[in-house]
Amino acid sequence: MKALTANRLIDGEVVFWSSGRWVERFGEAELFTDDVPADDAEGRAKSEVTVVIDPYLIEVAETDGGAAPISYRERLRALGPTNTPEHGKQALGGHDIEVIAHASGGARSGGRLNLIKRK
Amino acid sequence: MYQYDALDKEFLADRSAEFRHQVARRLAGEITEDQFKPLRLMNGLYLQLHAYMLRIAIPYGTLNVAQLRKLAWVARTYDKGYGHFTTRTNLQFHWIKLRDMPDILDALAEVDLHAIQTSGNCIRNVTADPRAGATAEEVDDPRVWAEVIRQWSTLHPEFTYLPRKFKIAVTASAKDRTAAKTHDIGLSLRRERDGTLGFEVMVGGGLGRTPYIGKTVREHLPVARLLSYLDAILRVYNRHGRRDNPAKARIKILVAQLGIEEFARQVEAEWALIDASKVDLPDTELARIRGFFTRPDFATLPRVSDAFDAARAADPGLARFARNNVHPHKVAGYAIVDVSLKSIGATPGDASAEQLEVLADLAERYSLGEARVTHEQNIVLPHVKLDDLAAVYAGLKAAELASPNINLVSDIIACPGLDYCALANARAIPVAQDIARRFENADRAELVGELKIKISGCINACGHHHVGHIGILGVDKKGEEFYQLTLGGSGAEDAEVGKSLGPALPANRVGQAIEDLVEVYLRERKGDERFLDTFRRTGVEPFKEAVYAEAH
Repeated sequence: MKALTANRLIDGEVVFWSSGRWVERFGEAELFTDDVPADDAEGRAKSEVTVVIDPYLIEVAETDGGAAPISYRERLRALGPTNTPEHGKQALGGHDIEVIAHASGGARSGGRLNLIKRK
Repeated sequence: MYQYDALDKEFLADRSAEFRHQVARRLAGEITEDQFKPLRLMNGLYLQLHAYMLRIAIPYGTLNVAQLRKLAWVARTYDKGYGHFTTRTNLQFHWIKLRDMPDILDALAEVDLHAIQTSGNCIRNVTADPRAGATAEEVDDPRVWAEVIRQWSTLHPEFTYLPRKFKIAVTASAKDRTAAKTHDIGLSLRRERDGTLGFEVMVGGGLGRTPYIGKTVREHLPVARLLSYLDAILRVYNRHGRRDNPAKARIKILVAQLGIEEFARQVEAEWALIDASKVDLPDTELARIRGFFTRPDFATLPRVSDAFDAARAADPGLARFARNNVHPHKVAGYAIVDVSLKSIGATPGDASAEQLEVLADLAERYSLGEARVTHEQNIVLPHVKLDDLAAVYAGLKAAELASPNINLVSDIIACPGLDYCALANARAIPVAQDIARRFENADRAELVGELKIKISGCINACGHHHVGHIGILGVDKKGEEFYQLTLGGSGAEDAEVGKSLGPALPANRVGQAIEDLVEVYLRERKGDERFLDTFRRTGVEPFKEAVYAEAH
């Protein structure tokens, strides 16, 4: 599975694509099981240059209780810094946050697709 | 400290207005991110994992009361109530919004602060000994020369697009508290036997992927010739630095490839071509700058304070604080106070808005209005009366700023790591927190003595791991956080790059490994050897054996 993420231009907030709009919670992100709609969404997102910076697809896996980004780096983006649990999205709590917080493994860079730009 | 004049203030106001316009154009879609990114970076604004990060320059680590209070206000108004002091003596805010940036720059400009040249391939913020003007060890005030370099390098048209970033540190004491030999240029002021002041100029130091200790390119540069000589070095670098490969573009690579003798020859040849009268600072201008760093109005006091001695005898906490965090001042009756930003379990280098305000209040009341930032991510109150030490300690303690651990095992440098940084491979902060908790017992920490642990979350080495007595480098090993340990590094006057201990350890073994290393040291040490001295005598073997024994 894949999800589409970016940082919002105006404030840098980590955001996720959800059927044509950007949401702040990973739990509300649209999860793509097929490549074609995922790539289409990425293409649309890249045209939203006054809304987000550098949108990219990430790998997502089903874990106990729900979906979570495979990459540890992406899980940190979806949660917030581990030294300050009161900061970032993790402070909101909720089931989706719990699922991501309890996921394990995964490469820092492995979760980001299309990292090498094709000419 | 240096006071901005009307021209400086006008320039900052213009620069801020310019960036306000650039932000508006970016938000309106009139310029692309590719066009905007270099503009925001020139104003210290990076995009990190969770938000924008703003790096504010603190020239030679010197802050006045108004600046501390303004930083606290910015932290509270625009960030999440704290800031992070870095190994370049800068301050970073980690939760900045682009839409707030123009107002933040305006607010900073009100107290003569900005974020210019905190990013990009230019001459970065110049650092200096945090005890400048307070220690009896120095032969001159290094801030004078750091300010000279700051003015010379600010928006220098020839050196705005160097092959890579360029960092300069200035020290004037034999004891180096600036890590001068890890800088692109390290300047060490010396007084010759004939009384003349000169710089030992060290060049080509640097950490990152290929660490080098700076080499001396000139033993004695007359101080009056500083700027033309810096011009010559920068010109040779600007011409021959490897612009084709960012990983080889720092001056350390050029110096290593040419060899220091050939590099020195080219610098001398270039220097001979420069019209020094147009570059070197006129005596009148030097005198003007020196005028900003005149000796403060110190009181005439006895060398010993009965009040302090009595307070110290009555309070073991104060006594411990005095042993570790208080240092001799050049003026009788005064002391230099190191304020640790490494309380047990805290994030190294972080200070809350409330703590910044306490520091401002204490600096105002007890330290002639000054505070300094150290490259080890701590704060210095440089001019505290011995009579006031107990009050300063009480004020710090109430704000959780009185950790008596300067230079001890829990005084750890750590970069923001993967918790914040877009470049990091692994976290650094939790590793530091774990180690600090293991050495929470202050008696044990003092028994261990000076031990500098430095942690970086990636090979860029912002946490100076190469020059830690124990260095810890986070790596990504098949998706898990692993940590490579190095031993025997030093960033001080006896600078050395640490040696690898062995294969990287998983995150959950690092804390125990540090405890094992300390146990070996305590077993092996002779007399008053520091950890570093023992390691240099015994070599890596006993340490390696302790950490990897059970793995075999």
